[in-house]
Amino acid sequence: MRSFRYQDKGTIVHRLNPFSKLGWITSILVLSLVLDSPLFLLAVFLSTLPLVKAARVWSEWLSAMRLALYLSAAIILINTLVSSHGTHVLFEAPFHLPLVGVPVITLEAIIYGAVMSLRLLSIISAFALLTFTVNPDDMMLAMIKLRLPYKSVLVTSLSARFLPTLLDDIARITDVQRSRGLELDRGRLPQRIKSRTAIVTALLSNSLDRAVQVAEAMESRAFGSGRKRTFYRDLGFSPTDITTLVFCLLPAALGIFMGLNGYGQYHYYPTVSWVSPTGWEAWLLGLMSALLVALLPLAYLKQRVDLD
Amino acid sequence: MIRIEGLTFYYSDTTHPALRDISLEIGEGEFVLVAGPSGGGKSSLGRCLNGLIPHFYGGKIYGRVLVSGLDTLKHSTKELATKVGFVFQDPENQLVSLDVEREIAFGLENLAFPRDLIAKRVEESLDTLGIANLRYRQLSGLSGGEKQEVAIASVLALHPSVLILDEPTSELDPKGAEEVLSIITRLNDELGLTVILIEHRLDRVLQYADRLIVLDDGMVAIDGEVRDVMTNCYPELSRIGIGVPPVIRLVQGLRDRGVRIGRVPLTVKEGRAIIRKVLENAPPVQDTSRGNGREITNPLVSVERLGYTYPNGLLALRNINLKIGEAEFITIMGRNASGKTTLAKHFNRLLVPTKGRIRVSGLDTREATIAELARKVGFVFQNPNDHLFADTVYDEIAFTLKNLGFSREEIEIRTAEMLERFQLNEYKNHYPRSLSGGEKQRVALASVLATKPKVLILDEPTRGMDYRLKSELMRFLDEYRTEGNTVILVTHDVEIVAEYADRVILLSEGKVIVDGEKHQVLSQALLFSPQINRLAQSFERYGVSSKILTVSEALDILS
Repeated sequence: MRSFRYQDKGTIVHRLNPFSKLGWITSILVLSLVLDSPLFLLAVFLSTLPLVKAARVWSEWLSAMRLALYLSAAIILINTLVSSHGTHVLFEAPFHLPLVGVPVITLEAIIYGAVMSLRLLSIISAFALLTFTVNPDDMMLAMIKLRLPYKSVLVTSLSARFLPTLLDDIARITDVQRSRGLELDRGRLPQRIKSRTAIVTALLSNSLDRAVQVAEAMESRAFGSGRKRTFYRDLGFSPTDITTLVFCLLPAALGIFMGLNGYGQYHYYPTVSWVSPTGWEAWLLGLMSALLVALLPLAYLKQRVDLD
Repeated sequence: MIRIEGLTFYYSDTTHPALRDISLEIGEGEFVLVAGPSGGGKSSLGRCLNGLIPHFYGGKIYGRVLVSGLDTLKHSTKELATKVGFVFQDPENQLVSLDVEREIAFGLENLAFPRDLIAKRVEESLDTLGIANLRYRQLSGLSGGEKQEVAIASVLALHPSVLILDEPTSELDPKGAEEVLSIITRLNDELGLTVILIEHRLDRVLQYADRLIVLDDGMVAIDGEVRDVMTNCYPELSRIGIGVPPVIRLVQGLRDRGVRIGRVPLTVKEGRAIIRKVLENAPPVQDTSRGNGREITNPLVSVERLGYTYPNGLLALRNINLKIGEAEFITIMGRNASGKTTLAKHFNRLLVPTKGRIRVSGLDTREATIAELARKVGFVFQNPNDHLFADTVYDEIAFTLKNLGFSREEIEIRTAEMLERFQLNEYKNHYPRSLSGGEKQRVALASVLATKPKVLILDEPTRGMDYRLKSELMRFLDEYRTEGNTVILVTHDVEIVAEYADRVILLSEGKVIVDGEKHQVLSQALLFSPQINRLAQSFERYGVSSKILTVSEALDILS
């Protein structure tokens, strides 16, 4: 849990303007949703890896991906069991269900489920990178620039601020109640849930007390004074930042182009076939990957320019 | 600067006033110390001065409060923010940003100051507090003391003319507390800021304060120049339960015996001058020998070559060997992060040794569960709020017994016994979290002691407690010990150790540095010496034992 937090590791990825990273994420999102071809989706996922590496957030990223893998497994399983389309039948149930017919497991359904989860993995990977490399305060500024209301943004930023405090509270209260003989891992599920109420109740009550005190402190420092708030720090927008942002949005544009012109598409049903990109598609695949990874040299460039 | 006229305040839904008919005037640049028992109205008074009462905390209010000419009834806390700065007790709950610089800018941003002015003020505040080196640091990585300094800086950035601090050091370790207090005195001295400090630890600040106001039961019980109050109102202070520094108690003790002393000392240095005169007139009575630790042959707890490394690789304890006997009163002391709590958590298996082992009455902790050990080892944590979750005090106490599988009759008998012992009978059906601080502490203690553990561990139980509650708790622990149980106290409070413990274990960097009888360990240890010992050390050539730790020991040898 502790690792799900922003830490300033000072890498070139951390130093990028948050808008550049938001642009990049938009591209990943667009590509993952527009494209169908397993080859293209795999390329999208792989393109996120060099950035994770450069940001030195491997271990945090891995723990996020571990959770994502459970989700993927569920997607594959459900799709396989529910979808009966496809011609490569691997297994046919010896019974008949009303409405559904004879349950079958097809190779097509498994592959479709796997590629669906690949989509999800790309999106999660990109968001994990965003969470681990953008200072929540900067994210708050970016959101405000995007004209989201200050109070909602502040709530989000406060929850980032109090997450470590909450985790400490949980650890402490758990120790207290275990010392009082509370056994969390004994009994069946209802019993286990019940034993956790001792912890949850104390935690909630503590958090409420805390919330009142935080409100009191904020008020004492003129929060909500009625004037239009100013912001001390600004997300500077240098020419490099603008260039970077444009570059980061290019893959999204390319994705839309491909979607409209039928590139990067693939049909799973009724029969899977080998993916064999046409000449044009191979070029587009290369271009897309190159544009996604281009964030790295741009980040390096930004660092050089900022230093000068 | 501040004028309070006939102020009375009731929190909503209460029939007992938090403040009663208070009239005060506080001048510009004054350093006012506000003391008094918990629940006496100290915090409420502070809240009245920046408008939190009645704008944030509603209730019935009579009289009026004027701050720099502004009536707090008509001007809200937000408007008063540039007149009155307020620093709260827990640094954790008053910081809202992720890094230091933004935290300091927060108030200025709220007031819509232009960016260049904010930059100037941030710079200024960082320099005033001397924390420019922290400017880009993440708040989560700072120590408690540093966080409190950031809180002060963030308030100062608004250029208030009055600074109110509500027990700003009670969540801090001694080093952090000392730093914060010295900053506060400097702000008053050099910047001429009017300071109103609500504080339990009088010994560090008494000499800098101009005035001491004691609030008891919502009323001003004492109000006067610090030395006057200490000289003339001593019986009154003891009656209310104010923690008067040991040097003053010693001198007052001498006065009671008829020794003529003009001005009461506020510092150890002043105390030395007085004691020197006393000793020149009458040599000290020869001290009976003290300070022999006892040999433990049949240990209740034995720690053998204990080492512990946290899962993240942090080496917290190394090669610790201890024998703890029955009916001992032990304190574990040491700097922050020296391994005190880590060691304590091993006694009831909250942590399992990564090297070596611990045996509690013969039982290896690696082979027992926490629940099994809970019958032998009780653990009371610092904040009673972490203990309390049940609907009634009765259920709270019975909870531990239920967990450990006691029979229904046994649970009833023991719970009743605990309610009696801790004078909680009248609150039996009350919601524990709505009780006062002292009562909550008693419920937490009762819930742990219901199992009658042979070993009772307390992790910094006196932090943030007022003098009266502290003495009440310590007296109880002493009693529990005389019943044949062992008490292990993790604490920073030297004066408490001097008064009540018999053995001190001093940890540093995860190792036991000293383990011995308290007179051996605490005397002549510069940082850890209690006030009386620092006084006694200068009089060895008069034949005063340098092992004296407490007021009563000192009074015994001064004829």
